[in-house]
Amino acid sequence: MIRKPLLAAGVAGLLALTAACSGGGSGEGGAGALTYLTFETPSLTSTFWNDSIAAAQKEAAGVKINRITAPSTDRDAYAKQLQSSGQFPDLLQSITPSNFVGAGLLKPYDKTWVEANFLLPQGNALKGEVYIPPTNSQIVPQVYYNKELFAKAGIAQPPKNWAEFLDACAKLKAAGVNPIELGGADPFAAGMPLVGIISADILGKNPKWLQDRYADKVKFADANVVTAVGKYRTLVSNGYFDKGALGVKYADSITRFTGGKSAMYPMGSWFLGAVPKDKADSFGSFPWPTDDGSVVVPFVVGGSMAISAKTKDPAGATKFAQAWSLNPANLKLLIETDGAFPMLKEKTLDDYGVTVTQVFKDSYAYVTEQNNKVSAIGWATNDDSLPPGLNDQFYAASQALFTSDDVAGELAKLDGAWKTATQ
Amino acid sequence: MLTGAATPPDPARPAPRRTRSWLPAARGDRGLFLLAALAFGPYLMFLVLPLLLSLRSSFTNQNPLRATNEFIGLRNYTEMAGDEQLRASLAFTLTLAVGVTIAANVLGVAFAILLNRTSLSYRVMRTIAFLPQVLSGVIVAFVWQTILTQNGLLNSMLTGIGLLDEPYPWLGSPRAALFSIGVVVTWVLSGFTTVVYLAALQGIPVELNDMAEIDGVRGGQRFRTITWPLIAPGTTISVTISLITVLKLYDIIAVLTGGGPANSTQSTALYIVKLAFTSDRVGYASAVAMLLLALSAVAALTVTSALRRREVSL
Repeated sequence: MIRKPLLAAGVAGLLALTAACSGGGSGEGGAGALTYLTFETPSLTSTFWNDSIAAAQKEAAGVKINRITAPSTDRDAYAKQLQSSGQFPDLLQSITPSNFVGAGLLKPYDKTWVEANFLLPQGNALKGEVYIPPTNSQIVPQVYYNKELFAKAGIAQPPKNWAEFLDACAKLKAAGVNPIELGGADPFAAGMPLVGIISADILGKNPKWLQDRYADKVKFADANVVTAVGKYRTLVSNGYFDKGALGVKYADSITRFTGGKSAMYPMGSWFLGAVPKDKADSFGSFPWPTDDGSVVVPFVVGGSMAISAKTKDPAGATKFAQAWSLNPANLKLLIETDGAFPMLKEKTLDDYGVTVTQVFKDSYAYVTEQNNKVSAIGWATNDDSLPPGLNDQFYAASQALFTSDDVAGELAKLDGAWKTATQ
Repeated sequence: MLTGAATPPDPARPAPRRTRSWLPAARGDRGLFLLAALAFGPYLMFLVLPLLLSLRSSFTNQNPLRATNEFIGLRNYTEMAGDEQLRASLAFTLTLAVGVTIAANVLGVAFAILLNRTSLSYRVMRTIAFLPQVLSGVIVAFVWQTILTQNGLLNSMLTGIGLLDEPYPWLGSPRAALFSIGVVVTWVLSGFTTVVYLAALQGIPVELNDMAEIDGVRGGQRFRTITWPLIAPGTTISVTISLITVLKLYDIIAVLTGGGPANSTQSTALYIVKLAFTSDRVGYASAVAMLLLALSAVAALTVTSALRRREVSL
């Protein structure tokens, strides 16, 4: 018979093993530290996060931070895994708040502080509450173009409407230049033309379209959406994308475009960080073209961190998050390498000490000008966010429509996925 | 120490009553029992318990963001019948599993016969053949991604020597992506199958081959009459494990194509993860996981029992 002490020792051993296996985090910070979920990219390196944390800690004295890093850039999925294992972080960088607010996991920022510090205080608000300080913005997408290739094809000016856009594509193709670059192997990049088309043609005319979709007043399968998305098929069937575009990785699409393999590139403004400084004058940008030439800017506001509603130190977490969000040094790197357009009040680009290209300044002008800004479908973090799982379906539809003519069928599938996701 | 078993029984004494015969009597046996319990504990904790929790979850509407979940009976299981994405993922997974299992085992037998020598160079080649098996799936996928993407090594080579006019989308069309994933997974698994078949080949008595040589039985005839029947136990193991490995494949596909283009290479395991952590449907994902588990069990049992029938013993 096994004696009880032996059994107890066995169980204790197992528990110790389990604890060792489940211990997360970097191990820094010690007792009382707040966990801060970050992610890393070639631009936003470990050094950037550590430096930005140290700078914010100077403002928020006494707040200890234990930084953890998401294993991929999908912060939302990792935060959900952490939540399901009882380890939801105190602070979460660049997540999609709509995924978590419904479950009461996020704490809103003080409205007075938000109003006092940001150009578009309600830019990413959910039902009137702000869960991520609107420190910067992105245009998703703009069309970037290669001026030299345009000149080679005899195109004097960037297209202003859809007809001119098609004409430019035809001229480029006739000149032996691939008109549009698409990094279709990465689903989000494959979805860029559809984000542009639906944001410009549908949300441009009805900025409340996504709210109406939630209210079941409109559908993806409606005739106007089918007609708009049909434009994408026109681009594909006319051969304006590389035939093998669905095999091109996002990173390769950048090097292909900046290397002169294609004339146009619909992409989020983070592409501006990848424009080679020595060739920056060769590139320009224009908004995704509409039928009548009116300017519609698909827009996203975000940039900083959300605070857990369950944090053990709400005051410390808020102090740290506010300090981090208002630090121009943090935004400097985001502006230069991630094409982020700063949204702090009473500051010009010069106040950040940045060196940016002319194409960046031209693109930023669309943010500062009065124009028709609408939520970029699939990217918005406000009330226009898609239901959980819909982004994946949207990207899959974008890839499917590269080879399939069944526009109505693919959009009907999106309606089906919407129904399942909102049940 | 197993000292108790070595003591001779006293014939004058009646045999002690055997109570609780499942417990070893001697102190040394208790140690063994404890070791077995320690081995069995993690098995219970990390396999059986999660399995039971997953089974329970499959009857709920569990969401990773909610603290409480409702019992919804068989609703997740009935929903599966109308789930087109699930059907597509199962079709893809089964096609891949069958194709890769056949290819990896054919290659395994071929490589094993080629490498069944004792010289140093063959031993080095065996190690090289086994190398893909020891690499992490994620690393394998990243390596192959650099080979198979539009600007990858394969297209550069084929266009460079004039075999292709323009780069071929190896990962960019549903059929080509299925084929590409099949090649990569076959490459990985053939290391394992080669080792299994090598072990089986080395279990064939030398005398049998010598007699066959004397009788003039060579080449294909010797393979058909001696080698193939005698490596049957290896075939059972290799085919079963290959099949199960592909049925639950996740990492290589996640990195290589992410399930695309247009979900055409979405394995059932990948679909389960997306359901749980992208669509927030842990309950439904658990039900699909139970289906995959049942499917894997049925496939493994069917294949094992079919292949065991052709096993022979010397």
